Amino acid sequence: MSSLDITRRYFLGQCTGVSLGAMALSSLLGRAAGATTAGGEAIGLPGVPHVAPKAKRVIFLTQSGGPSQIELFDEKPGLMKWAGVELPDSVRQGQRVTTMTSNQKQLIKPAATKFARHGKSGATISEWLPHLARVADDVCFIKSMHTDEINHAPAMTKFLTGHQIAGRPSIGSWVSYGLGSTNRNLPDFLVLISKMQRPSDQPLYDHYWGSGFLPSRYQGVKLRNARDPVLYLRDPDGLPRELRRGMLDGLGELNQLRLDQTGDPEIATRIRQYEMAYRMQASVPELTDLRGEPDEVFNLYGSDSRRAGSYAANCILARRLVERGVRFIQLFHPDWDHHSRLTSWCSARCRDTDQPSAALVTDLKRRGLLDDTLVVWGGEFGRGVAGQGQWDSSEAGRDHHPRCFTMWLAGGGVKPGLTYGATDDFSYNVAENPVHVRDLHATIMHLLGIEHERLTYRFQGLDFRLTGVEKANVVRGILA
Amino acid sequence: MFSLSLRSIALPPAWRFILLPLTAWSAPVTEPVSFSRDVLPILSNNCFGCHGRDESHRKADLRLDTREGATSDDVRAVVPGKPEASELMKRILATDDDEIMPPPKSHKPPLTTEQAGVLRRWIAEGAVWGKHWAFEQPVRSPSAPKSGVIDHFVSAGLNKERLSFSPEAAKHTLIRRVSFDLTGLPPTVEETDEFLRDTTADAYGKVVQRLLASPHFGERMAMWWLDAARYADTDGFQGDDNRTNWPWRDWVVGAFNANMRFDQFTIEQFAGDLLPNATTEQKLATCFHRNHMTNGEGGRDPEESRVDYVIDRVNTVGTTWLGLTLGCTQCHSHKFDPISHADYYSLTAFFNSIDEDGKAGVAAKPYLAYRSSLTTRALADAEAVVAERAPAEARARSAAEVPFAAWLAARLAEVRGGFSAWRVLKASTLESSEGTLLTAEADGTVQAGGPNPKQDDYRFIATVPLPRLTGLKLEVLPHDAHTAGKFSRGQSGEFILTDIKVQVRRTGSSQLRDLTVNSAVADYSAPQKDERSYGDIKGVLDDDPRNGWTTKGAPATAPHTAIFALTEPLTLAPDEELVFELRQRSTEGDANIGRFRLSASDQRGEAVHGMRPAPLADLATAAVDDAAKIEPELRARLFGQFLEDHAPYQGPRDALDRAKRQLGEVKAAAGKLNVMVLAERAVPRDTFVLERGVWDKHGEQVPPGVPAAIAAWPEGEAKTRLGLARWVVSRENPLTARVLVNHLWQMLFGAGLVRTPEDFGLQGERPTHPELLDWLAVEFMESGWDVKHLLTLMVSSATYRQESAASAGLLARDPQNRLLARGPRFRLPSWMLRDAALHAAGLLNPVIGGPPVKPYQPEGVWEEMFMGRFRYEPSEGAAQYRRTLYAFWRRAIAPTFLFDSAQRRTCEVGVSRTNTPLQALTLLNDKTYLEASRALATAMLRFEGGPRQRLQLLARHVLSREASEPELTVLQRELSRALAYYRTHPDDAATFLRIGQHAPDGAVSLPDLAAHTVVASLALNLDEAITHE
Repeated sequence: MSSLDITRRYFLGQCTGVSLGAMALSSLLGRAAGATTAGGEAIGLPGVPHVAPKAKRVIFLTQSGGPSQIELFDEKPGLMKWAGVELPDSVRQGQRVTTMTSNQKQLIKPAATKFARHGKSGATISEWLPHLARVADDVCFIKSMHTDEINHAPAMTKFLTGHQIAGRPSIGSWVSYGLGSTNRNLPDFLVLISKMQRPSDQPLYDHYWGSGFLPSRYQGVKLRNARDPVLYLRDPDGLPRELRRGMLDGLGELNQLRLDQTGDPEIATRIRQYEMAYRMQASVPELTDLRGEPDEVFNLYGSDSRRAGSYAANCILARRLVERGVRFIQLFHPDWDHHSRLTSWCSARCRDTDQPSAALVTDLKRRGLLDDTLVVWGGEFGRGVAGQGQWDSSEAGRDHHPRCFTMWLAGGGVKPGLTYGATDDFSYNVAENPVHVRDLHATIMHLLGIEHERLTYRFQGLDFRLTGVEKANVVRGILA
Repeated sequence: MFSLSLRSIALPPAWRFILLPLTAWSAPVTEPVSFSRDVLPILSNNCFGCHGRDESHRKADLRLDTREGATSDDVRAVVPGKPEASELMKRILATDDDEIMPPPKSHKPPLTTEQAGVLRRWIAEGAVWGKHWAFEQPVRSPSAPKSGVIDHFVSAGLNKERLSFSPEAAKHTLIRRVSFDLTGLPPTVEETDEFLRDTTADAYGKVVQRLLASPHFGERMAMWWLDAARYADTDGFQGDDNRTNWPWRDWVVGAFNANMRFDQFTIEQFAGDLLPNATTEQKLATCFHRNHMTNGEGGRDPEESRVDYVIDRVNTVGTTWLGLTLGCTQCHSHKFDPISHADYYSLTAFFNSIDEDGKAGVAAKPYLAYRSSLTTRALADAEAVVAERAPAEARARSAAEVPFAAWLAARLAEVRGGFSAWRVLKASTLESSEGTLLTAEADGTVQAGGPNPKQDDYRFIATVPLPRLTGLKLEVLPHDAHTAGKFSRGQSGEFILTDIKVQVRRTGSSQLRDLTVNSAVADYSAPQKDERSYGDIKGVLDDDPRNGWTTKGAPATAPHTAIFALTEPLTLAPDEELVFELRQRSTEGDANIGRFRLSASDQRGEAVHGMRPAPLADLATAAVDDAAKIEPELRARLFGQFLEDHAPYQGPRDALDRAKRQLGEVKAAAGKLNVMVLAERAVPRDTFVLERGVWDKHGEQVPPGVPAAIAAWPEGEAKTRLGLARWVVSRENPLTARVLVNHLWQMLFGAGLVRTPEDFGLQGERPTHPELLDWLAVEFMESGWDVKHLLTLMVSSATYRQESAASAGLLARDPQNRLLARGPRFRLPSWMLRDAALHAAGLLNPVIGGPPVKPYQPEGVWEEMFMGRFRYEPSEGAAQYRRTLYAFWRRAIAPTFLFDSAQRRTCEVGVSRTNTPLQALTLLNDKTYLEASRALATAMLRFEGGPRQRLQLLARHVLSREASEPELTVLQRELSRALAYYRTHPDDAATFLRIGQHAPDGAVSLPDLAAHTVVASLALNLDEAITHE
């Protein structure tokens, strides 16, 4: 089923609730009810997609803080004999570390976990990710990711906007700008953040899903875990829906009078946006209400999925958004910044995310949605092979490391059951098939049918693009 | 090709107009080609990326941005007078993919025939070189008349297109427009009426003078300047700590109100500290260059941050004053504009020796110790709220004495048989995630057996046999089955509890609801070596497995107790059960609790916040038979316990607590503050080119200096920040006056004469009216950089005063209003919308200056972003209704009620204007707009008149005009609909009217008020209400 069909089916299901006023208004504006454009304007750019898309939408599972590839994916059994030995300069090659470890010796700490090979593909996955292991054959691992930034905010900014300094559009905004909307009840680009009790060391700035210099209608809309999933969504208590409808009808009529007098087309857009707002007031609560999901779904995603705001519950929401034709869905799970105590800190984040991430792949697959939905899992950088703190104590953690890290992708035109790229014996430098963050961007765009060099936006006299000025390559080796 | 361009001139003028976009200023064939107007944009857009100034990206060693490069004998790209011999022409006309320029891989389309024709004619006419227009000195055109210059140049442009001005806007529109533009506020009903009555020739001029003299003028201008200055009340980045730089914001307001010369305004902000006998205010002014973000992220090299700050200052100077995208030259020479990589770092040298060290938070020296004189009203307002609420709290407290006596008598009788605040819970289900076998004993105690995994989560599910739940008590018990008879079966016998979760579940429901716990206490916690180690009980509340509770090292092996208090008492429905989760995920593991018991309490206050027995338990122990015999200390505790649950007391107490907290903040703001300012360090730093812009990749050393291509350094000036400021505002600088005049134009007309206000370079747009821009720039400088004078000229022009409606024909011809054949029509900035709603509703508190305030914002938005580290508490009392200029600006999350606003992270001078459903939701449901609607409704109902007059009153307040008949019909219909509803649903009316801090006016009928509030909200959402017409 195409996303359009899903949306249409979904919308028709909702349509009975739309009042005559709304219908009258939309016909007044010469637009058939059920049209698939949001407010009649976010229809994407002419000529985009440039090539036939493999993926129609993206779920980006952002693991903020820098998950350790050494503990989770990048098995290096040879490290045991290097344990406690200073990292050779020939490997380090002058790589910077943060000031947290710049005045300590870089002593090698082998992985704190055990690995096994999983699936027909024999993917190497750590004991901390038992659920992912079960879907290994649906997933493509890239072990040769690398970036340029070593601190969180610049690295995450680069990971999501292509540039280390805030101000560029995020990848979701680029996609939304290029491809437009397939849904008239929800925004194109939605962001979900895990609810955590602990104050996060790395706040998730809204420029991570900002539209930069693109018009702000392309920015990600955060779905909050609150009474108002979208800010100001709920009408005040004591104002019933029927009065809101009447008031909006009156507002629409008066605005129409003004449109006739001034001829300003912005007014026509405004009338449509108020109607979209009205529809969102129904569609968003319906979306976020998981009560109708069967027990079997909660069992699949794990017990945490019963807790609203958890990563697991957000994974279910991501699937529901896909079903409603939303183009770009981005989850954030914070606190992967294990500078110490890998066995409690890193493993805790694995527990939060392993089962739900794997369940999402399974769930999409069994619903036939994985073929044209691209799932991306990863953080802004990896961790270094040297222990932070006393390397052989359980206190030890790992510092940030930009030169290599692991991500995985599934569905949406990516080769399943593949491990792509490799690192050296120290999981320090990329040894084979390097994939820069901008190559990943080029690849995601390609899968969506966008040639990254052709999707540009002129700002301050320059034609900007997500992948920036340096050469970016579509990673052909992972395409199905 | 030639035949094509001949054909284009054979077309009638109107057709030509359609063929050429209005951005293109192609030379008519009768006029010689202008290099800067016609040729440079083509070369810049298509060629300079690879054949420009930037040597690192230059291809084929060819540069086309200089005459020498383009005409060199090596390539003979341009042979003056001979297009046929010029390689440039061959290449742009080539059809072979290997030959054609720009090359296909650049994704640039081939040049159009018009463009090729322009280049051909230019070469044929001798390939005369010139400068980009913005680098030429602005001069007054000789054709400019003595007065009415703006209209002269605009109408000249219109005449060429056979267009003319639109009629002057209606008076009510005009006063509304100019009031917003000059003060950011709509006119009052009285001001509008007075203007409508005034038929003298000078009526409009009087309004303009009144507005320019208003103290709100400075506020309006400051909002523009604060966006450019990236002003905020926090650092940004990881810590996002608060800063107290707001006195600088008030300095800006004051400077605009005093009409400080703009060159002086610039000099003081660049280098007030370096002026002879610098005053405190002049030093304060330099905070402009400290308004950048500061980064205190752990692990970051402070020097890297410091370099970032220096770079941010230079980029801000580039954008705000020079209209140049200097940021491009941070990494390489500018591809388009005449600024080299070394020029850029020479500019940074001026800001490189500030006595700063790259730190953030409270370590962001240099500071100026400053006490603001503008806190009097804020203090008085905050004190007034405390004064108003204190008696209510005292009254509620003493009123509680009577029910307390009765309560105490009843409790006294009740506790005779003993009292326990705790009821042991019996689990209906016990679960373990890793396989521990949990068994419940008859008294509710749970014992672990079976496998002993390294880490485990236990889930204890039970119904609570109490009417409500206020807290939980966890007892961890020793047992002989454990190692050494201690608490666990792990190697040491000790336990570590890393986190707890308290949740409720409705029978059969798939959903769990999290309860928040706000206090955890224990009879014993192991001493803890740092924040991230095991010991303190509070560590179980933060989802962090690196801390948590252990009693390791306790003097004796005895049962240990922890008590958790819920933030809000929970009333459980009969089919709801409690799910208590014990997470044991410590680093070493092997420390799972072996035996425990869980109890619940329904007592508030002391009972669930401390380890000592609850007051009622002590009362039971005291065993007195008469309330009069209770010890005063116990009696006070019992009164405290009673008040915890005495609803009539809670409201007044919470209200007073909030008022006191806010007064405390204002008092702190009224004291000495540290304002971040500029000051030079004793030993200047050396400045280097940074290769590829990387902070520690030093290239050649560079002295302080400015790009010679812009303007020469003023003779005799020292190479200091002060000298730099004087260079920026020197008469020879071709950019500054143009750029600032353009900002002012954009403020009034919605778009600048140059539509890329941040870029006057080769890649920016050319001015729509170049002679006008130049004339205004010269006028600005010669008038003594007089901002009010310039604004007066602009708002007095016929161009400005045109009506903004557009015919379909005009709209099709000039959708962006570049020719100015009509007045500007655009949505007002969101900060003006909030101010306007408060103003129209009579709620606005017009005080100037003072500490930041917190307008209403939905609950939880700061908490979500910072996982609870920052909490947003809306200001109470008069502080709530201050102008948006004073709203606290947290950089990581800008005020939620603003949209399309600058982000205040880096300098922004452009405008963003979108039209989204989220904006509609904000205007419909934000508390400020609802409270303003209710205030308008109250005014309508207090007005003695019929429904029609009342609706007209609304229209006059919100739209500055009376409603038309068709409009009245719609408004009346919606009012009737709402009245019909609320008169039959009075409870909904009461609920709906519970908005903001004040109770609705008791003298009016609530259903009527609710219905009028709906209609007032409709009015505030009208397109006309939110639009600059």
